[in-house]
Amino acid sequence: MSIDIKTVERKGGTPQERVYLVEVFKGMAVTFGHFIRNFLDNSKLYVRHYPEVEPEITARWRGRHRLTRHEDGTVKCVACFMCQTNCPAKCIMIEAGERNDGRTEKLPVRFDIDLLECIYCGFCVEACPMDAIRMDTGIYALTGTERDSFVIGLNELLQSESPFTDEEYKKGSK
Amino acid sequence: MSLLDTVITIIRVLFAAFIPVCFLAVMVWMERRGCGFIQDRSGPNRANVFGFRLMGIVQNLADGLKLAFKEDVIPAHIKYKFYYVLAPVIVFTIAIVSFASVPFADALVLGGKSYLMQGIPTDLGILWFMAIVGFAVYGIILAGWSSHNKYGMLGGLRAAAQVISYEIPLGLALISLLIVYGTVNLTGIVQYQGQLLFGFIPMWGVVLQPLGAIIFIVAAFAEANRVPFDLVEGESEIVAGFHIEYSGMKFAMFFMGEYVAMFTSSAIIVSLYFGGFQIPWLSTAFMVEHTRLVVILLMIALPLLAYLVVGWIRKNNRNRFLPRESDPDVFEATWYIRLLWAAVILLELVLLIFLIIGAGGAAARILAACLQVATFLVKVTFMCFVYVWVRWTLPRFRYDQLQRLGWQTLIPLSLLNIFITGAIVVVLS
Amino acid sequence: MADTIKLSVNGVEVEVQAGKNLVDAVAAVGIEIPHICYHPALGADGNCRMCLVEIEDGRPPLVPACKTRAVEGMKVRLDSEKIKKIQRDIMEFELINHPIDCPICDQAGECILQDYYMKYDGAQSRMRVPQVVKGKKIDFGAGVVHDQERCVLCARCVRFTRLITKTGELGIVNRTDQARVNIFPGRPLSNRYSLNVVDLCPVGAMTSSDFRFKQRAWFLTKSKGICHGCSKGCNIFIDHNREKYQDDIIYRYRPRHNEQVNGYFICDAGRMTYKQENEKRLRTPLASGQQADLESAINALKRRLDQAANPFFVVSPNCSLEQMHAIQQLAAQKKATVSGFSEGYIQEGDGDDWLIQDDKAANRAAFAVLGIDETKEVFNSALKGADLVVNFGNDLSLSGVNNTSLGTAEMAFIGSYANSCADAAAYLVPVASYSEDSGSIINVDGVLQRYETAVKKNVPFPNMLSVIRQLGGGLDDVQAARTSLGNTVEAFKKLDLQNIPAQGLALTASEVGNVTA
Repeated sequence: MSIDIKTVERKGGTPQERVYLVEVFKGMAVTFGHFIRNFLDNSKLYVRHYPEVEPEITARWRGRHRLTRHEDGTVKCVACFMCQTNCPAKCIMIEAGERNDGRTEKLPVRFDIDLLECIYCGFCVEACPMDAIRMDTGIYALTGTERDSFVIGLNELLQSESPFTDEEYKKGSK
Repeated sequence: MSLLDTVITIIRVLFAAFIPVCFLAVMVWMERRGCGFIQDRSGPNRANVFGFRLMGIVQNLADGLKLAFKEDVIPAHIKYKFYYVLAPVIVFTIAIVSFASVPFADALVLGGKSYLMQGIPTDLGILWFMAIVGFAVYGIILAGWSSHNKYGMLGGLRAAAQVISYEIPLGLALISLLIVYGTVNLTGIVQYQGQLLFGFIPMWGVVLQPLGAIIFIVAAFAEANRVPFDLVEGESEIVAGFHIEYSGMKFAMFFMGEYVAMFTSSAIIVSLYFGGFQIPWLSTAFMVEHTRLVVILLMIALPLLAYLVVGWIRKNNRNRFLPRESDPDVFEATWYIRLLWAAVILLELVLLIFLIIGAGGAAARILAACLQVATFLVKVTFMCFVYVWVRWTLPRFRYDQLQRLGWQTLIPLSLLNIFITGAIVVVLS
Repeated sequence: MADTIKLSVNGVEVEVQAGKNLVDAVAAVGIEIPHICYHPALGADGNCRMCLVEIEDGRPPLVPACKTRAVEGMKVRLDSEKIKKIQRDIMEFELINHPIDCPICDQAGECILQDYYMKYDGAQSRMRVPQVVKGKKIDFGAGVVHDQERCVLCARCVRFTRLITKTGELGIVNRTDQARVNIFPGRPLSNRYSLNVVDLCPVGAMTSSDFRFKQRAWFLTKSKGICHGCSKGCNIFIDHNREKYQDDIIYRYRPRHNEQVNGYFICDAGRMTYKQENEKRLRTPLASGQQADLESAINALKRRLDQAANPFFVVSPNCSLEQMHAIQQLAAQKKATVSGFSEGYIQEGDGDDWLIQDDKAANRAAFAVLGIDETKEVFNSALKGADLVVNFGNDLSLSGVNNTSLGTAEMAFIGSYANSCADAAAYLVPVASYSEDSGSIINVDGVLQRYETAVKKNVPFPNMLSVIRQLGGGLDDVQAARTSLGNTVEAFKKLDLQNIPAQGLALTASEVGNVTA
């Protein structure tokens, strides 16, 4: 196997470029073009005007977590601790308990996620054998005035709904 | 000392002391919005007072408040607290004081006396600037040294080396200019530029000394520690350089010092090379003689200008994501437009009264001075914009590139410029 | 050293101990022969067939390694295609009716089926018929919960109750795929070693109701320790973990193999002593009856001790050798009597002939070695004249000494666990318990064993040695105490106390009985 060597052409050797001043003026012409265009009409800016225009979130986008339920409303999570084990930020804290709703034996009695520690890598979703944790809520703006308010528990996680259908989620985009 | 003397002195001092500080806000705003526009984003435009954002200037108010109320930390490891506190004071004071010798209008002849319109009516002129501005770097070196921090120290050392390298071409470029003008008095220099070359080209310094102008501007950028010569605070290698240990209001002093220095050197560049307060083709004498013509032209021009600005305000003050009726931006713009028209009407009235009763003598000269001040400020604002413009265009020089440019390019070129200028002056005389 | 023999495994010659079966013999040199039903304590059963190995030039050519004695010149093959296929097939067979509910199974992480599946199988299931449904979550009594679906019918538990405890509560009922482990109707597990079946079970069929769902096995730090539940000094694993934002706590004890002391097992009562390490702890220091911080409580006690005309030291039989030695030294310095009176720790008739002992104190044998008196007479006479009783962790209420019998004497308590003595104490210094400290103890059979710090609390308790030092004692740490013990105590003069072997050191009868030290 031979290695491909790509020789990058070195710029800046011509006399005109060596004087530099000409190139400076060229560069300034470019930036001034942008300036005057945006100055005269600010609707031409390339930015998204965030609070008014929200970004379009696809089903693959990793937002805040939620816990899913079976069709009959029972919690899918079986407290296997796979997400907690896999979490590189160690932000998931689970406590398991006996389950009496007719499905298996185990159920989380406490499922806390410290959103300040979470790095939104999605490893918990990857690790989950039950498809019980998903990050498809589309919630990306999390604000609070107290640290404690960023530790969300079982109820909050179970209450969140996804704006996406299952097909969209599986397909990966809207 | 007559009453007139006192009033003129107060006006001069107020102008020289407050215009740089007021321009601080304008320049910070220009920097942030300007760089936003250059980079195709909008810059800070959300901060408001009662819904009025003043094109984003309110953000400066917020930042200023924040800096003023921030904890003023003096790190425990600092040995010489006096020098540590002194450094930002030096930087800021020097920046303001160096503006004192710049004329913002032609010498005003009132009551038979001629008043130089400078903060300090001195004949030292450019020498004053050269003397003071070189002192600012001591603030930076002192800050770097007293911070007791290796990054600060490196920043201070770089500042010292840079100033040594660039003050020489700055001075040499000036010499060739002084050969042309034959005076160090800045008012004299600007008056000289009021002449016309071949009868139709304004005899600005940049026309007479193109090479000198380039050398001077480049060196002035380096003196003000602006991009592309801001190695003193090169974030990528020495974090924040000399002001790394400074926070709160002391940091703000450095920050303001930098912008005031920028304003001052803009003013000097404008005075030396771009005709200072001179309005092209409208000399002071011409304006005093043909006051009525000037006033009528102004009365025509003002509404036209206002009309254009109103169109611009309308176009750029609307929220495209809200219905027009409930758009706070439109409401805001409506008020700006009303204020603008009110100001125009007021000005028109003043000019009308002037046209009817004044027009001649002292009033004419004051009008001319006002126009010159306006011209001067417009020119300086543009030069400040050039500073911003260059900053967001060029990358920072490497240290060796900086020194090579200073010693191997600018100094020989400025020496050559002196030689050529001297030769031409000798030949022409 | 036993005789060694040479045999070849996969064509590589290895030297192993003679007289063992193949599984154990080659395991000692680091070669694993997979096995499910075989356990060294229970002997070979040969029902799982996982340990089948090929013997070249042997008759028969395929043998179960657990039932085959290693002999000189044997040529064992583990890597032939045939053996690999056998292992794969056995794994597939075991997993036919296994529910694969690893997510909710406590055994996950230390399960033989998981490990062997990854190592020897790794194939998708080919079964298309519904799995056999059996009983789940069956309470076998004595804290054992059974899941028949997970069971691989290795019969380890059945053999344990038949061969070791000889109680025989468990049996395998039914045949073929309906076979399952069960108890006899109305006769649950009731022996005092029942929970060992949880450790024995190679899969998650037997789980402990106490540990159930508390932690996943892979989170636990498995530190070595010695049970202080009775004078046997069984070797244990202290499984502890620090959950996020919480303290380091112990989740379970498991037996640790030590042929000299406890073999492979521990009793149920000892297994549950981890709870008092977590819960029954003293936490608030007291100085003259007032709550104080640790430093000022120790200082107050030091001042009180210096003023005391007639101090009296009471030692707990649970203290380590090093602690006792330091207490003795401090007593000599303060001219205090030392008593180890603790007859209440002995529960007459509670022990059996195996692991459980009458004496519920871990280090009583050390009293004799160090010459600490434990008679009631000496205790009572010393108590009468004392104005300050410094109690080093001894729960006197067990021995019938109530707080009124202290008389006018003030009580200072330096210990780990809450009891009525600690309640009555005017000075209280909570110290690290044995799971958080290191030391050495002598068990009922005269085996000297050491233990090291296992649990590290967020805010550690001070260890008793450092408290004694702050009270004026001269020993810096465990090492210094051991050196001093070696120099002063006759029985230890020839021993290297700093390097007690991991399996413990059996002291001779003369050493244990040497009271003249």
